[in-house]
Amino acid sequence: MSSLSLYGVSFDLVHLLLTSIGSVLPYPLDAWITNGTLVLVLSVLVFAAILLAASMINTIVLIWWERKLLGRFMDRRGAMHVGYAGLLQNFADGLKLFRKHTFKPAEADTLGFFSGPTAYMVTSMILFGVLPISTGWNSGSLPLSLLLALAIFSFAPLFIFVSAWSSNNKYSLMGGMRSAAQMIAYEVPLLLAVVAVVIVSGSFDLTTIVTEQQNYWFWGPLFLALVVFVAGMLAEMERIPFDLPEAEAELVEGWNTEYGGMLFAFFMLADYLRGLVGSFLVVLLFLGGWTMPSWVPGALTNFPLAGIFWFLVKTYLVFGLFVWIRASLPRVRTDQLLRVGWNRMIPLSLAAVFLAAALVTVKCLPVFGCLPSPGV
Amino acid sequence: MTEPLTATEKTSDNPILWVAKPMVTAARQFARSLLHPSTVVYPFERLEDPKFRTEVGIESGKPIGVGPIWDNYRGVHALNIDTCISCNLCAFSCPDLCIDMVTVPGGDPKHPKKCPQIDYGKCSYCGFCSDACPEGCLSMTTRYELSVHSRREMVFPPEKLFGIYQQKLPMNPIRVERPANEDRIVLEPPLCIGCNACSRDCPTNCITMMEIPKPEAKPGEKLPKRIWKEPVINDSDCVRCGTCISVCPKECLFWGSRK
Ligand code: SF4
Ligand code: SF4
Ligand code: SF4
Repeated sequence: MSSLSLYGVSFDLVHLLLTSIGSVLPYPLDAWITNGTLVLVLSVLVFAAILLAASMINTIVLIWWERKLLGRFMDRRGAMHVGYAGLLQNFADGLKLFRKHTFKPAEADTLGFFSGPTAYMVTSMILFGVLPISTGWNSGSLPLSLLLALAIFSFAPLFIFVSAWSSNNKYSLMGGMRSAAQMIAYEVPLLLAVVAVVIVSGSFDLTTIVTEQQNYWFWGPLFLALVVFVAGMLAEMERIPFDLPEAEAELVEGWNTEYGGMLFAFFMLADYLRGLVGSFLVVLLFLGGWTMPSWVPGALTNFPLAGIFWFLVKTYLVFGLFVWIRASLPRVRTDQLLRVGWNRMIPLSLAAVFLAAALVTVKCLPVFGCLPSPGV
Repeated sequence: MTEPLTATEKTSDNPILWVAKPMVTAARQFARSLLHPSTVVYPFERLEDPKFRTEVGIESGKPIGVGPIWDNYRGVHALNIDTCISCNLCAFSCPDLCIDMVTVPGGDPKHPKKCPQIDYGKCSYCGFCSDACPEGCLSMTTRYELSVHSRREMVFPPEKLFGIYQQKLPMNPIRVERPANEDRIVLEPPLCIGCNACSRDCPTNCITMMEIPKPEAKPGEKLPKRIWKEPVINDSDCVRCGTCISVCPKECLFWGSRK
């Protein structure tokens, strides 16, 4: 199964292409072109290009999805005119931002100002590459892919803080401070909620975690962990009600106040890319990833790319939940946010860990059935 | 010594209430809006479309302004060039001075036919012009889409207004009606100075300036300085445009009835 990884596919593609080109070329060229190093380099590039395209298209469709949902929540229709039901509106917006002049404030620090958004964007992209989407779409099997993903996920406050500080603007700096405080406060319950999943599935490998969920998805038995994880994700993604770092009403635009044009687009895309990855993680850890329960008719799960299809359906539904929360709840204050984070979330997540441990000990639950193979 | 400001808040708030309740409200709104969003996708849908008649019609009891266009809506003007008598009344009555009388083909060289040209950059859609028009040939339609790309295009020449007339849009039927018994021009003779203005401007040439006898000046009395002529109006030719009333410098012409 793991031979069917995305990288494997791109390697095969490039290899096929180069050998067929090489077969029609004269002697010194064909030897050079079929040389292993070139195949390797090119296939890495193709792999990266596929990841880039997939992540960008998904991100932009996700923004569309949010705009449409939010529109209905607010009794509007959202984007309507460019493309079918406004589907291409965000591509148009992106093009507009791309054409804009990029400038930096005179007193800003050049290196930090430009490297912050770029690094933020790049780490979010890497994150997208790390997560498996189906049995065929993964970057090989990494035994610790969950840890790797969460480690990359927690890079973000650093880059936000760097770009906020180097903007040389008090609102940016305040936004950056808040962002760092918030992300660090919510990282802990988030990781503890993940520990609950790891205890039950017995693995740090996301592919294994998903296959463990073949019989029952973890959201039922680990509901407490799911709640903590979703709340933590909201804070990590800086979405309403936890969007204090860019509270427009008080901080102009928070840590990206000074950014315009493509750099702003980087932040915007990376934000939504993180939203996408957050939804991916919820689906992978709690909603069975690309598997579907056995009562679903086979016709719905056996078509080609069914895994990716169902994975994306679940992802967009989870993101719909985030949008629903955004449409319903007001923004909290910083002190409330931190108090809830340290005083409520951490006890709750500890309780979730204990519940998970109890579940592994008991092994069977009346409603959810038995654990397939109790982990470690 | 000032007390430090502390945020006071209700600590008894139930998380179910402040998370679940708003979310249920939002979900209910979402479901309602999924079927019937309030937005009308304007250039493609309009409130005057039949499908909105039942929803936001007058019967629904919603306030005026969300319903279909009303028949007395004052939109762009329609001008019937054929019946316009070039009386100038519209231009006279316009409070914004946005009507110019411009020559259109069809008149004789001595009396060119002039019809109103309206500058929509200035028009306030007050409707005075269509109220004043004696022929009912200038009236307001229900069309409200008038955006153009330049100021020059905002000036609608008579031909364009005639084109709008030919589209047979619903027209505003309201015009001030003159009482039936006051449809004649009457002259208050002592005020008249015989200036010929009414006769000159009458679109139908129905005013003739007739000689009147010059009275004998009594001793010590000074005769008024005037031309000893008075307008005589041919009622059968008069189209009741009121131009003569408007141009009279001494305001001695009135609407009235003559036996
Ligand atoms: S008032 Fe009527 S008849 Fe007179 S000039 Fe204007 S449009 Fe023509
Ligand atoms: S509607 Fe009023 S402002 Fe407009 S042209 Fe007629 S009289 Fe003038
Ligand atoms: S006499 Fe009649 S047609 Fe002539 S200007 Fe007066 S109202 Fe108009």
